[in-house]
Amino acid sequence: MRYEIRVAGHMSETLAKVFPELDHVLMSGQTVLYGPVVDEAHLHGLLNRFQALGLRVVEMRQLPE
Amino acid sequence: MAATAETGAEPAPTGVDPTGDPLLRTRFALPKRPAGFLRRTRLTGHLDQALVTPLTMVNGPAGAGKTLLVADWAAGLREPVVWLTADPSDQAPGIFWAYLLEALRAAGVPVAGEVGCPAEAGRVDRRTLTRLAADLESRDHTTVVVLDEFDRVTSPEIAEQLQFVLHHAGHGLRLVLVTRTEPLLPLHRYRASGEMTEIRDADLAFTAEEAAELLSRHGLHLNHSAVRALVDRTQGWAAGLRLCALAAREVADPHLYVKQFEADHSAVADFLLAEVLDRQPPATQDLLLRISVLDRCCPDLVNALTLRTDAEPVLAALHRENAFVQYLGHSWYALHPLFAEILRAHLRERRPGLEPELRGRAARWLRRSGALHEALVQGAAADDWEFTADAVVDDLAIGQLFTGLHSEELSALFARMGPETTGPAPDLVRAARELAHHDLDHGLSHLRRAGRDLAGNGRDRAPVLLGRALLEALAARMTGSPDRAERAAEEARALRQDVPAHVLENHPEVTALLLTHLGSARLWAGRFDDARDALSAVAGHPGGAAMALPRCEALGHLALIDHLNGRPGPAEHKALAAAGQAERYSLPPQSGSGLAQLVLAAVLIDRDELDDAEALLDAAVSRPLGDDPVTQACRTLTRGRLLLARGDARAALAAADASVPAAVSSPWAEDHAALLASAAHLARGHPESARAVVERVAHHRTACAVEAARARLAAGQVEGALDVIDSLPEDDRPGPAVTVRATLVRAQAAHMTGDLVTARRFVTRALLDGRRGHLRRPFLEAGPWLRPLLSTGRLRELSGGWLLPRPGRHPDTGPTTPDRHPALAVEELSARERDVLRLLAEMRSTEEIAAGLHVSVNTVKTHLKSIYRKLAVGRRSDAVRRARERRLL
Repeated sequence: MRYEIRVAGHMSETLAKVFPELDHVLMSGQTVLYGPVVDEAHLHGLLNRFQALGLRVVEMRQLPE
Repeated sequence: MAATAETGAEPAPTGVDPTGDPLLRTRFALPKRPAGFLRRTRLTGHLDQALVTPLTMVNGPAGAGKTLLVADWAAGLREPVVWLTADPSDQAPGIFWAYLLEALRAAGVPVAGEVGCPAEAGRVDRRTLTRLAADLESRDHTTVVVLDEFDRVTSPEIAEQLQFVLHHAGHGLRLVLVTRTEPLLPLHRYRASGEMTEIRDADLAFTAEEAAELLSRHGLHLNHSAVRALVDRTQGWAAGLRLCALAAREVADPHLYVKQFEADHSAVADFLLAEVLDRQPPATQDLLLRISVLDRCCPDLVNALTLRTDAEPVLAALHRENAFVQYLGHSWYALHPLFAEILRAHLRERRPGLEPELRGRAARWLRRSGALHEALVQGAAADDWEFTADAVVDDLAIGQLFTGLHSEELSALFARMGPETTGPAPDLVRAARELAHHDLDHGLSHLRRAGRDLAGNGRDRAPVLLGRALLEALAARMTGSPDRAERAAEEARALRQDVPAHVLENHPEVTALLLTHLGSARLWAGRFDDARDALSAVAGHPGGAAMALPRCEALGHLALIDHLNGRPGPAEHKALAAAGQAERYSLPPQSGSGLAQLVLAAVLIDRDELDDAEALLDAAVSRPLGDDPVTQACRTLTRGRLLLARGDARAALAAADASVPAAVSSPWAEDHAALLASAAHLARGHPESARAVVERVAHHRTACAVEAARARLAAGQVEGALDVIDSLPEDDRPGPAVTVRATLVRAQAAHMTGDLVTARRFVTRALLDGRRGHLRRPFLEAGPWLRPLLSTGRLRELSGGWLLPRPGRHPDTGPTTPDRHPALAVEELSARERDVLRLLAEMRSTEEIAAGLHVSVNTVKTHLKSIYRKLAVGRRSDAVRRARERRLL
């Protein structure tokens, strides 16, 4: 599974390193993180990590293979 | 309030190990309001509803100001407030409830002792929850329970249990959940019935007026439009506003700063925290980064991480400025979880590789301060396995891998320890984990390796050797090696002098486990008195969660000794005491060896309460590798007894034949197997085989001698039977379960010689001895001769109400007829007789049965007579009923 997750605001490089498994790109006031998500547990773990860091998820979708 | 203390009732046991753990109370502390805290009356007013509705949920993202809002509100309540900050390990129901009960105690509103307390991570007894709810409900005040950071508790099981307690506690409990995510309680139902107060993110968000007030309290005075813009930018997020205030007040032109921040597209907390951090003096920055690896900290611990001495003033200043840290009282602080998370990201970037070192240092400080559990968590997080294993072994916590609330957690902690970590302590930990999970082969091999390492290692430390002795004793028990157990116990006795007294005192479970293993091995060897010496010390030892399991096990073994001595009364008493302990501490009934349950089943079989016995036996399922030989033998023999009582003598014989692998053989296990085999042979009508298996052991065990006499009687040898009964082994004086049988043999012998007076006299004595414990089985096994005797006079009176229906209870049926007696025969039905019985149960006529089985009508009649005789009935309908009772159909 590949996912694309958009969070509000531009993330610093420091914070982006908390998600080493994902690539990221900054665009129009958002940070788009994308990459492979192993399973459901991983997905929920990612969401928890965003939340713990005070990042607001605005959009999340599975990418076509 | 403290009603339990006033009434002098037994205090509740504690599942949480309170031994000097300085961090424990920080979980029960309401965070203190920082200076500049803004009370928002619209929210506290809303929260007052929490006293009306059973459930309140305050949810919002990290940094929304949930915790401080609730803490501030709760601090002003007249009702007692119980505060518990959830921990990731609270996922396990047993741990969660043990800490909640401890939180009640810490808040000065402890529950009564009868509530009990979980002593195993994964389990809480429903009765504990019921009693907790009843306890809360019965108080004359409402108890407010706040669970902070409840998002860490994701277990659906705990959500269900909370809902159960909440429902049953009625007005006695008001539950406030502070959480980032919606809990798994059925919120829609609470909402629909108006039983829930909700404060959500939108409520928590600061309005422009509130924001202006908050900022000015932080020394940042902005005009109205700037405040509004800032609220838009942060969406009223408390953490964002606070950070912004901290960042902006340091600059020359705050208005300009805020304007730039508004235009900026960075993530709010990410950006602002970096700004605020950078404005701190270098020493403070360094400190903040370092303490991000800690959940909670105090100045001394922080100094250990910074290698400086200025933690106290720095922490106090940070708290005063409302920057990052919360104060928990008693010199303990906690970083705000949001900031801790971001700070850790900075630590990893700015000081790569430092984190394990910091965790290692924290682990050592925590261990020195007696917070062993937290020390182990940090040690494991640092991958410092040598330290972590050493800490477990040297602090004598190795027993806690087997018993207590944290045993599973502790074991799981070491799952990541790789083979590259070598030495006696790691090997002992490996062996303990494997033995605790019933992996005997691997456990023994690691134990051997630890022994070799210790032999070649000069710096032998007493706790290490004591830990090894404990595992040796367990290995001895599991392999049925009494000598090995004695050696281990002897070694442990000698070592105790070299271990500091307070260490031993803090870990009574080590001694208790060791003595239980020793007792079990001695029991296996048939040395009942020695076994009782070791086990009694454990059974009577007080102590909390970690002692519950050894106590249960010791009681179970003591119960078995009584049972083997033919004393069902004391056996039942001890087995029930073990079950009571299990219930009180939420241990599964079959916990430990499950021996108590097996003994209880055996007692029930002697009482002919077979369905209950079977249910117990089925519940005490065997673990594939887990049983020690004592339990295995007890299980097999009890199952065999049940099969025999149900009339399946063939299967009982097979059970008697089953062998239990052990280093040495066990005299009682062998004798009782012979006893079972003999009774089975007798039931099948083979008195010679019965005699042969049991007579060779008859000279030293009374029960066997009695069985041999029974076999002789069945073979018509009255004299021989009496010879055996008259020369019972002198040094084996068992209780009623055996003496009643012996007396019945004498009665039967008298009956066979036509001396009915003597026969009656002996039956009278047997009834007097047997009726107190409702020992029905010996009478049911005695044979058909007994029935007519019981139908008349004093014997009828003595047997009425327990062995036979009470006379006169069925006035409409007239005097008790023989076919109303319980079945007194256990003679096995032949296969053909069973076939006939089955057709009989289908309401077929004799002719139909004959046709169905392709035999003559007369043959069927012969079978029927034989069935009636064996089942001690006179009618078809009774035969079917009796057969159903006996599970023959």
